[in-house]
Amino acid sequence: MSNIAGKAYAMNVITPIKSYWAWINKLIFWAAIKFPGALTGLITLSLIHYARWVILKDSEFPHLAKEQPKEKLHYTYMLFFSNFNGSWDQYVDSFTFAIPGGLDLFWKWNIRYPKSVTLTPFHKYIRYNQIETIHYYSAYPLAAANDVKAAKQVKTALTQFHQDSQTLSDDEFMAGYKTLLRGLQHDLGDMYPTPIVTMAAYEVQERKYKHEREQAALAGGENG
Amino acid sequence: MAKRNPNISGNAYALTILAPIKNGYTEEQIAYADIVRCRLQDWNNQDYSPMTQVPQTYLCRYYVLDDVYTESLPGADPRSRWLDLLTALPFGGIGNKLRVGMLPKEDHLQSRYLVFSCNFHGGPEGDLDGYLRGMWQAISGQIKDIWGFCYGFEEVDNADKFIAYMKKCQLPAALFFVGSNDDPLPEQLKALYLKQEFANFAVANQGLDAAALRANFKAFIERVQPNDVNGPTWPAGKYTV
Amino acid sequence: MTQKLELTDIQGNVLRAYGRFGYPVARYVFFNIRDDRKGRAFVDAISKRVTTAVEWGDGPGQIKQPDWTLNIAFAYQALKELGVPRSSLIGFSPEFISGMKDRRDILGDDGPSSPEHWDPIWCSNRVERDKDIHIFISLNARLPQFLLEAYQWLLGEVDKTGGGVVQLDGHRGDNGEILPYQDSHIVMENGQPTAKEHFGYTDGISDPVFEGVPYDEARLPGRGKQMPNGKWAPLATGEFILGHVDEAHEYPPAPEPVLLSRNGTYMIYRKLHENVGTFEAYLEEHGSKFPGGKELLAAKFVGRWRDNGAPLVSAPDTAAKAKFDADFAAADAKTKDKMLSDFTYDNDMSGGKCPFSAHIRRINPRASLEMVRGDKPGAMKISTDAFDTPGALTNRRRLLRRGLPYGEVKDRTRDDGNHGIVIMMLNADINRQFEFVQQQWVNYGNDFIAANDKEIILGNHSVDDKLPSKAVLQVEPDSNEAPYILPKIPRFVETRGGEYFFVPSMTALRMIAKGVVDPT
Repeated sequence: MSNIAGKAYAMNVITPIKSYWAWINKLIFWAAIKFPGALTGLITLSLIHYARWVILKDSEFPHLAKEQPKEKLHYTYMLFFSNFNGSWDQYVDSFTFAIPGGLDLFWKWNIRYPKSVTLTPFHKYIRYNQIETIHYYSAYPLAAANDVKAAKQVKTALTQFHQDSQTLSDDEFMAGYKTLLRGLQHDLGDMYPTPIVTMAAYEVQERKYKHEREQAALAGGENG
Repeated sequence: MAKRNPNISGNAYALTILAPIKNGYTEEQIAYADIVRCRLQDWNNQDYSPMTQVPQTYLCRYYVLDDVYTESLPGADPRSRWLDLLTALPFGGIGNKLRVGMLPKEDHLQSRYLVFSCNFHGGPEGDLDGYLRGMWQAISGQIKDIWGFCYGFEEVDNADKFIAYMKKCQLPAALFFVGSNDDPLPEQLKALYLKQEFANFAVANQGLDAAALRANFKAFIERVQPNDVNGPTWPAGKYTV
Repeated sequence: MTQKLELTDIQGNVLRAYGRFGYPVARYVFFNIRDDRKGRAFVDAISKRVTTAVEWGDGPGQIKQPDWTLNIAFAYQALKELGVPRSSLIGFSPEFISGMKDRRDILGDDGPSSPEHWDPIWCSNRVERDKDIHIFISLNARLPQFLLEAYQWLLGEVDKTGGGVVQLDGHRGDNGEILPYQDSHIVMENGQPTAKEHFGYTDGISDPVFEGVPYDEARLPGRGKQMPNGKWAPLATGEFILGHVDEAHEYPPAPEPVLLSRNGTYMIYRKLHENVGTFEAYLEEHGSKFPGGKELLAAKFVGRWRDNGAPLVSAPDTAAKAKFDADFAAADAKTKDKMLSDFTYDNDMSGGKCPFSAHIRRINPRASLEMVRGDKPGAMKISTDAFDTPGALTNRRRLLRRGLPYGEVKDRTRDDGNHGIVIMMLNADINRQFEFVQQQWVNYGNDFIAANDKEIILGNHSVDDKLPSKAVLQVEPDSNEAPYILPKIPRFVETRGGEYFFVPSMTALRMIAKGVVDPT
């Protein structure tokens, strides 16, 4: 298993919900899309690349062949998938510290959801219903969501400055360059390996291996 | 007005696949679902994930859903409190019956499912076909390796059939949250490359006079080619440029 | 709602930073238990002399302030050796059970900070049974002769164990000698005592204030938690003391029975060497290039000016500093304290005054993490009402900081020698508080949207040229300036040893001494 790909952590949670509450949940999700103010907390936390909720009942489980037995379930199920930055504890803690109301709103109707305000029962609820990822891939293992967003700022500003600076005098160029740097003063953090968030032997070893191998390749490339 | 596609947010697409794995096992007494898991685990030991070759993939994951969970942890169901009270009364027998009836029911899945959850750049129209076609073209061998034990996959031997199959296994998102940006992956990777390179440039050229700075900046732009996503960039899935 | 703590049950060092209460010298001594019965007898004898958090006074019936204090804490192995039952032991936090050395990858103790470079006493800890660090005892004194008196008393008690408890040596001393104790003391400047460490910064100003500490009530502004109405409230007691409700309205995880854990806490002991020569050279090199000059640059590293601790958010440049200094000089002690501690980052969301990588902003971001991009390029702004409370991401990451500098700097151009800080941090949850701050805020920067850029002073800046460390010193978004980037930041501070300890309450101490801890 591997819940980690560089700076991203893959969380999967599956929780039962009574079918008559499922539609309310869907309504809340619909409202969250319509009125994104509900997501201000999530946006401010800025720890998530992408996250999604999926709600399905037994008849909605994909059925591909006659010989495949049909699902028969008492409950409807909610699947949650998140790609976040940091450790499990950090993520779950940040959520509960910062936006407990938002979490409660999204999970409120699920069976035996303990509410997020006290930490330990919520931790237990998530852990209890979590499913480990076997293979996790990130196209930019050294980038947090913040870095992807910062990179876009850099690219836009850099391209613009390059265009605008062609006809400037040296003094104007200097002033423009200063403005460029000032505008990007929160976008220039270095992207290196993330601090280790798990002590699992495989991860420790793998992480070391991947970075060393690529550093070696890099050094070789420079020499060659 | 066209119905909103719940899997699309801006230009990002949330693909959720649940593919039922056949209930069976090999001569070595390894269940098909466990073979799928082993093969996916082996991907972790390769230098790079096969998914690096699939265009426009931001982040994706695979896992096997063995079963659903029965909720036995104490929760915040207010009704159970009243029923707990009932059991303390003389007619506790009824209360107890009701209370046990209130306990979460036990559900079990009939099949185990291969879950593939993927976030990719699909454009405003959510070009799922294009993405899946790209996936088939890049890693059809690995796809067959992983999906080969799923119900109904026997027929899949080309991109069109793969697309059709995946759509049958697809589930719609109830909510898709994009906390990053939704540019095409090559754009994102190029931007990350520029961010890292420009940070280095800013450090190396701090304190120079305008003329020298200008000359170095010109050389820098020529080297990094900001507008060329095919030029120097951060390769997908790699730990260093 | 406000609670009164049982001051006679809580050890004195938990609630008091002794340095501030007139104890300028300290000695830390470590012991190995060889015989459990004799070990318990030793703990029993020591427990009678342990300094509690009781209020001091000279009036009738009041407890006089002692000439020296004594406090005690246990490493995990000690609890095992002293016969605490397994069912209690498993309730301690996994980090405490593993020990600091085992957590090196989480803490970033690499390169020159890695455990093989620690003082000998820490190298053999958890390697050889007879050299395991079991018991920590700290002595703080009002005068050097009182410290000697205390130490003699302690040695006498060790003697009485007849080898059942052995004092461990292996602390590097001032002249390279190996000592059986670690001394620390405040730094003198021109013959005057100061609250500074060896780089010249005033330390420990913003120690958290939490509910129930009678002698901290006046110190609340800037040290509690920032509330939506701009006021300050004391943090929940359970953030720092076990058996009390914490900021999540629950009791922090703790071992059973409750008598063992209640009013106790966890202590993180770290000996941090300061590379004074490297620091001076780096400050000199960049001080000459930095637009605001050397002293402002030094202030940017930490977020406070070196001479009087003035916070940069209140005194962002030389002119503002002159005004601050005039006001400060004219102020009474209480106002002075308020001027140093009572501030927020609300008017410095972009970091133009106090950089995002400055020490005090990283260790205690106050309410500044409730931020989003501002309207101008390079600006950040408060994301009003995004979180439940402005300090949501900070209030559960606070640490009580105790400790004093050690050693003397004889040559400010050199790194070697024996000088640094012995820091002792106290918290209810090592993983959630200390390790989180160390890993995510000191050695990493994503919460400050700074990717891998580290905290300037304490960060484990890479010794690998391929991964140089830098910090961006932000400017005001509406100025004409460019941010100054500190390049290739060297490792200013190196770890020289440390361990996680459990600081029991007086009740728990007596129970451990008697061998009656029983969770059944």
